[in-house]
Amino acid sequence: MELSPKTPLPAEPAIETSHVEEFVEQLRCVTDTLPSRINIDAQSVEQGLAKLVLTLIEFIRRLLEKQAVRRMEGGDLSPEQIEELGLALMRLEAKLQELKTQFRLADEELNLDLGPIGRLI
Amino acid sequence: MKLYAYCLASGIDTLYEPVQGISAARVRLLKTEDLGVLVSDFDADTVPVTRENALAHAAVVRSVLDKTTPLPFRFGTLVNELQLRNYISTHKDAIDTKLKHVSECVEMSVKIIRDVSADSQREPLEKYQDNEQGIGAMFLAEKRREIIGDERRAAQAAELSAWLRESLHGLIRDEQVTVRPGEKLVLSAAFLVEMVKFGPYREKVAQICAERPDLHFLLSGPWPPYSFAGLELEFKSQFGVS
Repeated sequence: MELSPKTPLPAEPAIETSHVEEFVEQLRCVTDTLPSRINIDAQSVEQGLAKLVLTLIEFIRRLLEKQAVRRMEGGDLSPEQIEELGLALMRLEAKLQELKTQFRLADEELNLDLGPIGRLI
Repeated sequence: MKLYAYCLASGIDTLYEPVQGISAARVRLLKTEDLGVLVSDFDADTVPVTRENALAHAAVVRSVLDKTTPLPFRFGTLVNELQLRNYISTHKDAIDTKLKHVSECVEMSVKIIRDVSADSQREPLEKYQDNEQGIGAMFLAEKRREIIGDERRAAQAAELSAWLRESLHGLIRDEQVTVRPGEKLVLSAAFLVEMVKFGPYREKVAQICAERPDLHFLLSGPWPPYSFAGLELEFKSQFGVS
């Protein structure tokens, strides 16, 4: 295949931005969350399992929160029920925070990349 | 001795210039059926993920881009010759379809950072917040505010994605767009652009950037079609993981 002379295809790829530092910082965050290599040892298995379980709990917790808010907006909860539900969800969030600290997991680590579908959370 | 596989290509019978690959090994063209595979010898079980190796992989794939559009293998693909030949013969139709799809195209990347300071305005808590409410109700009111914010950001990101797609209509053959509404790097897109449309594509993208000074753009390319290769390799060793 010969390129047309009118095709201004550069010999080398170019990268253009007026905000280099900002993009470097953001792209570094993205690569930090990618699994670099599978390294199976006792500690990483425990950590990986905790991460998976806590991600699923976090996902369910967020669903429960949304459901509670929808019900609150729908007006089918009494003030006492709203208070009770809010307290229960607040305690659940606090407990999950405690577990994240225990397993040294940051908020952004609790997610799953589902490929073309996107991320779980 | 294993082979490090760089890319698959059609329409090349020989490498006109000597090319150095991973670990400075000489790259050669392995012909199988009517396809060519760029490979080099490699005598370890894993490929270290280093800047030098990544650049070497990219340089080899790019070395044939002015002759044909290759299908790049994933970085770190180690095989033996028999596995490679078997893979190609059993996946020939899929490979031909992929090659046809990317033919005479390059990949162009667009990444967008959104100015998050626009999100600093908080939604009113309205009727759910008053001094007589308990802490549980206040918690739910705060969650409601967060959910409304998330929904607004998701709608804005979807709008941004649709705007970009519509603006580039007719200039791209395919696209892979990832939208992350909750993050600063809100959109990452790879576009498959025909080489003959490269100039108009660049002009349109420059216009797009000028239209939205509130967004920060990173444009890159032309790249080999890494995001569109999608070869489901079933070799036993990639990154040394079996």
